[in-house]
Amino acid sequence: MKKLLAFVLAAAMVFTLTACGGGSTPTTEAPKTTTTAAAPGTTASGQTTAATPETTAPPAPAANEVTDWVHYLTQVNEMETFNILYSQANKELQVLTNCIDGLLSNDNYGNLVPGLAEKWETTDGGKTWTFHLRDGVKWVDVKGTEKADVTAEDFLWGLEWVLNFHKNEAANTSMPIEMIQGAGDYYNYTKELDEAAGKALGIDKLKEMVGIEAKDAKTLVYTCVDKLPYFDTLTTYNCLYPAAPQLIKDLGVDGFKACTNENMWYCGPYVMPTFVRENEKVMTPNPLYWNKDCKRFNSVTYKMVESGAQAYQMYENGELSYVELTEDALLTIHDNINHQFYQNLVEARPTKYSYQIHLNWNKNMEKSEDPDTNWNTAVQNEAFRLALYYGLDATPYLERTNSINPLKCANYCYTMSQLVNFSSGKEYTERVMELIGITPSLDNYPRYDAAKAEQYKKQAMEELAAKGVTFPVLMDYYISGSSTTAADTAFVFGEMIKKNLGDDFVKLNTLTYVSSLANEVRKPRKASIYINGWGADYGDPQNYLGQETYGEDNAYYSISYVNTNDITEPELIEIYKEFTKMVNDAKNITDDMDKRYEAYAQAEAFMLKHALCIPWYKNVSWQLTHVNDYSKIYAPYGIQTNRFVNWETSKDGYTTADYDTFAASYEAGAGK
Amino acid sequence: MLKYTIKRLLQSLLTVFIVVTIVFLLLRLMPNDYYFTEDELIKLTDEQKEDKLRAAGLLDPTLTQLGKFYKNLLTKGDLGTSRRISNGQPVWELIGEKFGISMRLGLIALGIALLIGIPMGILQARYKNGIFDHLGTAYTIFINAVPRLVAYSLIYMLGVKLFKLPSMYSIRDPGRSSILPIVCLAVGSIASYALWMRRYMVDDLTKDYIKLARIKGVSTRGIMFKHVMRNAFVPMAQNLPVTFLLTIGGSLLVESFFAVPGMGPLLTRAITRYDTNVVQALVLLYSVMGILGMFLGDLLMSVFDPRIRLAGKGGETR
Repeated sequence: MKKLLAFVLAAAMVFTLTACGGGSTPTTEAPKTTTTAAAPGTTASGQTTAATPETTAPPAPAANEVTDWVHYLTQVNEMETFNILYSQANKELQVLTNCIDGLLSNDNYGNLVPGLAEKWETTDGGKTWTFHLRDGVKWVDVKGTEKADVTAEDFLWGLEWVLNFHKNEAANTSMPIEMIQGAGDYYNYTKELDEAAGKALGIDKLKEMVGIEAKDAKTLVYTCVDKLPYFDTLTTYNCLYPAAPQLIKDLGVDGFKACTNENMWYCGPYVMPTFVRENEKVMTPNPLYWNKDCKRFNSVTYKMVESGAQAYQMYENGELSYVELTEDALLTIHDNINHQFYQNLVEARPTKYSYQIHLNWNKNMEKSEDPDTNWNTAVQNEAFRLALYYGLDATPYLERTNSINPLKCANYCYTMSQLVNFSSGKEYTERVMELIGITPSLDNYPRYDAAKAEQYKKQAMEELAAKGVTFPVLMDYYISGSSTTAADTAFVFGEMIKKNLGDDFVKLNTLTYVSSLANEVRKPRKASIYINGWGADYGDPQNYLGQETYGEDNAYYSISYVNTNDITEPELIEIYKEFTKMVNDAKNITDDMDKRYEAYAQAEAFMLKHALCIPWYKNVSWQLTHVNDYSKIYAPYGIQTNRFVNWETSKDGYTTADYDTFAASYEAGAGK
Repeated sequence: MLKYTIKRLLQSLLTVFIVVTIVFLLLRLMPNDYYFTEDELIKLTDEQKEDKLRAAGLLDPTLTQLGKFYKNLLTKGDLGTSRRISNGQPVWELIGEKFGISMRLGLIALGIALLIGIPMGILQARYKNGIFDHLGTAYTIFINAVPRLVAYSLIYMLGVKLFKLPSMYSIRDPGRSSILPIVCLAVGSIASYALWMRRYMVDDLTKDYIKLARIKGVSTRGIMFKHVMRNAFVPMAQNLPVTFLLTIGGSLLVESFFAVPGMGPLLTRAITRYDTNVVQALVLLYSVMGILGMFLGDLLMSVFDPRIRLAGKGGETR
């Protein structure tokens, strides 16, 4: 009896486990494709009038080019959704931008180039925009099988999805609502409906209420709320991407929202037959991709790694095609001339983010909800801010990002460089730096002026002492409690302040939050300063400066971080009002882009001269790589940067000398 | 026996209910702001946030939410969808993707650990104070003294550098890429089984019934296999089912280290991302597995040791 019971028990356990383990991993066999063309790509210069793409021939592929690219992402960057209309996070968009195309894209100089639209124009200075879709664009499934044509109406379905509260839960609504006529009304209309009615909506009501129209299958017209000369740049961002109505119908609203790599449809350069969460994803070329001439890899594999250190190990083992180096790895290689990778150290191009020190105008005490009067009074004093502005030599801080060429990470403007150019070819931030009297240098940090800093410090201490401020003023700065890197950097920051301004003026008080900066710090107004970066969603300085204005609901940093509308110092309020007026005046110049950019540059210079925030750094890291970064799309806004198309690669891995040549060649071709 | 089984099942159901309810209520005590990602907190207005919370039912009274949770679970077997790990995907589907992988690696590692660890313990006991015993003890001490992450790093370096094994688990090459995770999973268990097997056997070897058996002329081999080993295995048998079932849970450290897409890191990721439905499902799963494992362990123990009766008052030994 006992033996029988033992057998039954054992059998039951095996059965239970076998039944539980039946779930298969979500993979699909990759379609066998051989599409790896390497013929001419296209570029376009048109922005506000009819644009005809120029055609240029990319270099023919060399024999030793990489055909199967292996990329890596850290585990925290695993995708949470495949719905490109829903995603608001780079971790998804950097992958999905390879799966679905928008109307327009960018080239390696950041110029707008045709995408699904082969040409586009505005005839009234940016109020109405017409996009002409190209022929032969197909939706395909994960196996590359044709499912439908991409039509102008698909963009209506896409916008309906974005604006429909019950479908997209308010994700990605802010820019369409801000820019497209009737979009806000439509969003509010859907919100008032019950869930079933909201989900049942098609595009009829959208056509009636919103400024978007499919004139025919290939012609799409947007009507903006005003003249928006930069509206075409927004089409490179996912909020204006298409959706296939048949797919929504097939999957249902909930199914489309939770679509996967296996059941979604693709119209971009790649499809993704394999996705294993927290392990790897593999993309292969879309066999019916409209651009037969663009160069693609036979496969692109993303490996999900635990840390940068692990990625470096994998690169050493030949398991990755590139690796961004941690500070430790960089110094290990750099300090050893005999290191196998010594010749292969190459500097990456700056990312699209411009980092600033934001000053909180209305901070609360660390342990109570009472205002921190000492800090609030001090920071609203201009001499105090200018002492910080001129008195901080950021070089040691920048070494944390780039220990070899720290000053390449120096950032002196609020707007990120390369966003827009004047018609003369002059880059916008160069003009801003002219206005604030800064000439960037790789030898010293030009904003640092010890004499001016000392003078402003003395002035501030006199003025503020009269108002009852005690010194040193405590500057509360919050970092993630789990990040040793952030702790090390904060230590360097604190020492830098002490060295540059002495310990009798300002003292950095580094504090930690557990999991959410927004909930634990920003909302209860606990920090004196924030160091954070902004990357543009569309190509206009308004997307930067509009975040800092006074008394405006859309000014993100003013409202959500620094509490600009709670400033009490009348002089500072006047400065802010003047700055806001300058920004809005610039915004209203829509018929002359040079004048517009000049007006924005003046506003930005005004903002910096009054040290309303302090430009801090940009990200220029070091890497070991098999790709020429200068051949990649370099988009200063939108989501195009991470597309694996037209990359120039080498099986051998590039050297420092190669990259010097690439950079020189790139600079020579700039402004073409 | 039947009475005992029914009683234990009812106790188990009550325990699961209490655990799941407490976790559900604790999760509802967290501020609703954690429902949103940092990106959403940046981009959504307060009104939009409230709309989303209402749509998700998170503004309902807590007891109403609890009622809905049990109603969906009991009537439809529905634990809801993931919000942050994989937006919109049913939770069971998400778990189903992962536990097959964890269990496969876990069971292979467990099998290896049993096949090596138990004979190792037997040999150590049989040749107590001999060279084999010393070597085995050194291994056990080394494994228990060195932090697991250091041991894994050593295995990683040896495997990757010397044997050119893949440093990451790959679903496309599960054979070779599973070797290092399995070795890492097994090294600790081998030491553990060897240690306990040796200890129980050495204990038993000093008992009177063994002396009697020797006097009666039973061979050493007979004593070891017929008496000592069987008795020594009883306490280990009790833990075997729960160990067996909890292989489903995977290993946080090993799976993170080798990027195994298994269950190991899922619970911590679900908690840190406030994916409440996933947390609740995992708590339910683990509590069921734990309780079922202990129940099966009790039954198995009674099979190996006829002196143990489960049906008596509180279980007793004859």
